[in-house]
Amino acid sequence: MEIIITKHPSFDLIKIDGRIDSYTAPEIVQSFELLIHDGRYNFIVDLENVSYISSSGMLAFVNAKKSLIQIEQGAIIFAATPHRILSGFQMAGFDQLFDFCENASSAADLF
Amino acid sequence: MPTKTFPGNYKNLEYISHFIIKHAERASFSRDEVYAIQTAVDEACSNIIDHAYKGENRGKIKIQVNEISNGLKIIIQDDGEPFNPDEIPTPDITSPLEIRKERGLGMFFMRKLMDKVIFDFSQSEGNTLTLVKYKGSFS
Repeated sequence: MEIIITKHPSFDLIKIDGRIDSYTAPEIVQSFELLIHDGRYNFIVDLENVSYISSSGMLAFVNAKKSLIQIEQGAIIFAATPHRILSGFQMAGFDQLFDFCENASSAADLF
Repeated sequence: MPTKTFPGNYKNLEYISHFIIKHAERASFSRDEVYAIQTAVDEACSNIIDHAYKGENRGKIKIQVNEISNGLKIIIQDDGEPFNPDEIPTPDITSPLEIRKERGLGMFFMRKLMDKVIFDFSQSEGNTLTLVKYKGSFS
């Protein structure tokens, strides 16, 4: 898995490639922790090139969302989510917690 | 019957997925069904590392893939602590995030995605999980 973070004035774009499972999810958890610690609260997560996500991968995003709820600011918007990845979020009921946009530029309009 | 044994650690989850995908594709499942089988096996193996072995590199995971009539039967064995599926709560996927308990999600996925999920334990064989998926059953 590869994570590329690009900082923009009103949000950070987090582009993830590859598999998100119990092995790689901790890297996502750590990335959010560092960003939130640095005072970054608005995120677009581009999932276009994610081939697989497990429940532990989804929980990495859910826990980041919980952190944002605790500090009462910020948002996580998913962009370009492949349909099998979206189905996983829907099955777990996590699709209600996040916004999903067609691509990163339409997500950027929301910030 | 193709059988492979993997060290029980998270890094191997990717190699386990490659093994499962190869045989599910060979059995002519649709791409969505292959993804469902991959997910169920990945969740099962993560649970073995987390709950049966209670950590990485404490035992092996043996996986046997059998083509059956109109489907695939996957048998996953480990030598960890006896696993009782009745002790795993069903997650309430509609409760508010602040109070939501996430334990049991892997098991929930397995039961949603596969047609049969059977747990067994014996002193000689350890934990045995049998997963069955039939073609055309994915909704």
